[in-house]
Amino acid sequence: MIILMILFTLLGGITLSAQSSINGAFGRNAGTLETTLLTFITGTMFLAVFILFFGQGNLSALFEAPKWQLSAAFLGTMYLLLTVIAVPRIGVIATSIAGIIGQLVIGMFIDNFGWFNSLVLPLDWKRMTAILFMFIALYFVYKGNKRSSHETEMKTT
Amino acid sequence: MIRYLSYVLALLAGAALSFEGAIYGELGKHIGELETSFYNFFMGSIIVGLLWIFFGKGNISYVVKAPKWTMLGGVLGVVYLTSIVVSVPFVGIGMTMAAIIIGQMIMSMVIEHFGWLGSMKSKINKEKIFALIAMVISLILIN
Repeated sequence: MIILMILFTLLGGITLSAQSSINGAFGRNAGTLETTLLTFITGTMFLAVFILFFGQGNLSALFEAPKWQLSAAFLGTMYLLLTVIAVPRIGVIATSIAGIIGQLVIGMFIDNFGWFNSLVLPLDWKRMTAILFMFIALYFVYKGNKRSSHETEMKTT
Repeated sequence: MIRYLSYVLALLAGAALSFEGAIYGELGKHIGELETSFYNFFMGSIIVGLLWIFFGKGNISYVVKAPKWTMLGGVLGVVYLTSIVVSVPFVGIGMTMAAIIIGQMIMSMVIEHFGWLGSMKSKINKEKIFALIAMVISLILIN
């Protein structure tokens, strides 16, 4: 069961990278804002159908929720917009890894200060080392990307 | 220059995702997970819709001409969110995030290696493998 769940979650990650590349390709033809808009609209439609069948929560409680919680929608929008901008310029892998690093580093800060009612997990030496390794990874992605785009250019010219 | 800027933008995108996750975790407790996702996509449509009305310079009519599979972006986002909601109670948030990140990194490399899904072809090389190893090490350190 546990293994099945981990596989299912791996699939979640796979769909995220597939989304980045599909949107990147679409964005080259239709434009950044247009691609992001389409992604949100189709996502909304699918979720609407989902909620009608499986929704157990209380959508109307949305109006009573604190406004700072609702403002997260701007962040969700920012994420998608920035991804659609970055993918055609630096590629899927660099966008994914840079995105993951931003996510993990900020995640650790949130944990460290216990913002948004999160569990307080201090930024210890293990987590500091982890951040160091992430930036090493970013460096290698940059290097690797540069080399493979150089090689492709050599072939085409 | 635009290259470096794009890396910074991608880092920012990830940072936004982290804040979003932490805040939506709170909202999800009140209104439910699926409802939170719905709210995210619904509000996103409105925000980007407004931006598009004022600043849209692209070609929205491409939607009709584009191959149908390129419409799948939004659906895939839903699969991603649902997989998190379903698996966190079973394996915990740490394991969930690690599995998602590893799936995402490996798949990104494979997609670009073969130039699938309209991406620019970019071969897997030594440096990219090193990057993957460094990321796995940092995931182990975090968990």
